[in-house]
Amino acid sequence: MNEILFSNQVIIYLLSEATLFFLLFIAFIISVKILIKWDFNSFSPTQFKLEKQAYLVSTITLFVFLIKFILLIYFVFTVDSISVLVPGAMCGAGVITANEYGTVLLGLKFLLLALLIFWFYLQFYDTHTKEHLYFKHKSWVFLAIFVFVVLELFLDFQYFLNIDTHQPVSCCSALFGQLEGANPLPFGLNIPLLLTLFYLLYILVILTLNLNYKVVYIVSNLLFLYIAYYAVVYFFGTYIYQLPTHKCPFCMLQPDYFYIGYFVWGFLFIGTFIGIGDVLSSLVIGIPNLKYQKITSYFLSLFVLLCTSYVAVYWLKNGVLL
Amino acid sequence: MHLLCGCLLAKKWSIIVKKLLPLLIIFVILGISAVIFISMAKNDQPMTIAKGNKEMKVLDFKLNFTNDSHCKMLIHEKRNALEVATPSGKTWFFDDPACMVEWIQDKSFKDSSKIWVYTLDTKRWIDAKKAWYGVTNKTAMHSGFGAREHKIEKSIDFNEMSLRVLRGETLDNPKIRKKLLGD
Repeated sequence: MNEILFSNQVIIYLLSEATLFFLLFIAFIISVKILIKWDFNSFSPTQFKLEKQAYLVSTITLFVFLIKFILLIYFVFTVDSISVLVPGAMCGAGVITANEYGTVLLGLKFLLLALLIFWFYLQFYDTHTKEHLYFKHKSWVFLAIFVFVVLELFLDFQYFLNIDTHQPVSCCSALFGQLEGANPLPFGLNIPLLLTLFYLLYILVILTLNLNYKVVYIVSNLLFLYIAYYAVVYFFGTYIYQLPTHKCPFCMLQPDYFYIGYFVWGFLFIGTFIGIGDVLSSLVIGIPNLKYQKITSYFLSLFVLLCTSYVAVYWLKNGVLL
Repeated sequence: MHLLCGCLLAKKWSIIVKKLLPLLIIFVILGISAVIFISMAKNDQPMTIAKGNKEMKVLDFKLNFTNDSHCKMLIHEKRNALEVATPSGKTWFFDDPACMVEWIQDKSFKDSSKIWVYTLDTKRWIDAKKAWYGVTNKTAMHSGFGAREHKIEKSIDFNEMSLRVLRGETLDNPKIRKKLLGD
């Protein structure tokens, strides 16, 4: 049997995911029934029963989705912690690329995070209307999420079952280190231009968000997410590690760096997904004003401030940049 | 009076800012587009793969500006360099026969591709499958396999060379090194 499955973190993680899936499966069955028979204008006993069941489904889903947020952080923690069992891995970067399922699974988890936040918005708007106007929107989104959750559970087991503890994997230096002379940055950017783009996009995101330019905001925030990833890995990360050659998105999650990676990536992803979920839900429902512009701005500003402060502190302490 | 003036000034200022903000957004978007376009225009990264070579011919490449697709190192000299051209028109570059053999072994186009090698003796590109390989030559990745057009003593053919690379019997292996070169 695969040694990885004896790891406490993996056991806890897989059991939790399986339990949550079981709860969601119940909610899924009831949701399908409700979607077929739902008629809010009807006063029949069946409709009353359905409304009670809808409340149950919402409660289950809300609970499961809240736990899913915590489990995403725990998944990252688990991957990082089992790096001691996989030869060659120094952090989560090596473990996540130990087989073909890891990267897909991580990507799927972020997609689910975005969809879950979108569902939360619909739930919020739905519970604030007397007639449950957005109940069907919410249920369809839930069904889509359920399909992804099934895929996620399958990938979870496939990923952990297929980590070979006898097969060496690449460490982060091999994965994110530069090719000799080749540029890993997108659009042929160099570091100064990458940073210019990073700060310009941040300004654009804040301005468009606060002026309610919804479509421009979505495009600019997605581009900011993409550029911010490279900026953290290839520039800000080197100041977190205080080593110009250390380029890795995972090592900063370790205790050696005071778990700062959880905050760096957390602020970026939560800020982005709250903002995009807000805009998308307002576009779907047709509400002109956004709900959480300030929270999105705070999260993204905290992310930029945190990254920048590492560079500033390093420069103030040493008088030079890396 | 002063308070009233202050309020009016603040109101006027907020109107000006509100009018200027959309303009600022346009400038920021222009700035972002400029940065991306300038970077893409200046994008002079080393080459790793060439496309459009449907005739599977030898392609000229820039030394010190082309990456080996297996070991990722820059190719510093033409001698003993290799090119793998596939029917789809893609061409990859290598600095050592061992790199090429390790890289191509799991590729679907392993048999259909054309492999070129730049020989040490005649100093020209020939079919790598017809070349002869010395076993103790100085090569980029220290495999020892130097390509030649003409057979010399102890040289081996392409199949033997590939087999030795996959078995790890290169000059890099201390046991093989000792066997071939002595102490």
